[in-house]
Amino acid sequence: MTSPTITQVLLSLVLVAISIAVARWWRIPVAKDMALGSVRTFIQLIAVGYALELIFDLESLWLIALAILIMITVGAHAASSRIKQSKGAFPVTFAAMIIGSLFTLVAMLLLDIIPLEARYVIPLAGMIISNSMNASALAIDRLFSDIQSNRPAIETALSLGKSWRVASGKFQRDAATTGMISILNFMKTVGIVALPGAMTGMILAGAEPLEAVLLQVIVAYMLLSSVTITSVVAVELTVRKFFTPFHQLR
Amino acid sequence: MAKRNNSQQGDVPILETVGLSRFVRDGGNIKIILDDFSFLFGKGRIYTIIGPSGAGKSSLLRLLNRLDEPTGGDILFGGKNTKEFAPCQLRRLIGCLFQTPYLFPKTVRDNFLYADSKLPSGTVERLAEQVQIPSSMIDRDVETLSIGEKQRVALARLLVTNPEVVLLDEPTSALDPSYTESIENLVKAIVRQMSLTVIMVTHHPEQALRIGGETILMVAGRLVESGPCERVIKDPQTEEGHLYKAKRLK
Repeated sequence: MTSPTITQVLLSLVLVAISIAVARWWRIPVAKDMALGSVRTFIQLIAVGYALELIFDLESLWLIALAILIMITVGAHAASSRIKQSKGAFPVTFAAMIIGSLFTLVAMLLLDIIPLEARYVIPLAGMIISNSMNASALAIDRLFSDIQSNRPAIETALSLGKSWRVASGKFQRDAATTGMISILNFMKTVGIVALPGAMTGMILAGAEPLEAVLLQVIVAYMLLSSVTITSVVAVELTVRKFFTPFHQLR
Repeated sequence: MAKRNNSQQGDVPILETVGLSRFVRDGGNIKIILDDFSFLFGKGRIYTIIGPSGAGKSSLLRLLNRLDEPTGGDILFGGKNTKEFAPCQLRRLIGCLFQTPYLFPKTVRDNFLYADSKLPSGTVERLAEQVQIPSSMIDRDVETLSIGEKQRVALARLLVTNPEVVLLDEPTSALDPSYTESIENLVKAIVRQMSLTVIMVTHHPEQALRIGGETILMVAGRLVESGPCERVIKDPQTEEGHLYKAKRLK
């Protein structure tokens, strides 16, 4: 496939029209969301296309860092707003995402897996950050619901002389696992059920399949690292809010 | 500060509350949970705490177990302020059994080992025998136990940490009469055999009479009367005591 033209993009709107028609036929009240979403997709992606072109051309480290910071800030805000039970989770999601994402990116640079070029760093950072965003939101949400619904278990453990960390250990581990579950499931089925995005993109752009597969393997390992670190940090920073310094459940 | 209410003359003190109080914010108001509660509990004795709902009985136990912090006043254990103990250490010395027993998953033995993973061999069997748990039950899954059996296991698990004071928060409220009687007998036996101090909250004055020992009557967060259970329940000396006896306190 050669680079898509604007005509091809416009033609693909037929698929949007079909989706809206099906929604209306089934009286699913999402037709408006579909139309707006399609327009937003177009505008946002075109805008980001121009922004990336500019960043790639300038090749400035500061610009790369700024782009990553903006992506993490927006992602952390989106993650915290998805956590229904906790107001003010932004500092936690931000810290967890920045630690998980930057650790992974820096490790990849130090190991010389990717070069320090905007063309490589920015797209991979985008993948890392969006996965970290989901991981932090899921992990924190699970921790809140588990601790609130398991107060008797936690207080029983505390009353037996266990520390808050031991008393809530199972719920911390469950929450961290919840944050990691999508990447773990992805790794179980990757290549069998679906061909993932990075690999598909490369193949569509004309790369050799084996070359695309190698990149996808790196992407999978990279996401595993960022999601694991983000989930653990998010749980670690959140769980302390539930306990007093005297090992009491708030 | 209210005058201290002493146990019987000649008791060796084990636990003492001095002007203990707890207030919580309820919307814009301050709610009094416990108000200037002073009492001296003697070693190896049994106490029942009676009073209408909302009198602060369970809240007192939570403070004694340091699951909550008092707003004012002190708790002394063996003459030493409990704030000088690490909370986890204190809770092993002052154990607490809640109204609805919570058992950790897996077997009865696993629950004993949760309280102390380094239990010497044979201790599980000895403790089980002490609280009349048949040996056939030790390796049973706790999910298969009745509520009465669970309460017995929870009581035995509490003894694993070798507490000197045992707090029981309405331990028979969820049990049928036959189990209630067996738990009452067990509590009396434990006090007799192990020289433990037991402080038991009950909603039923008749249960306090069956248990014996001393009784504390609490109303609206205050200690209004204390002394031998027969006297406090059948021949109260205060107006609130008479109202409680006449079941006119809600």
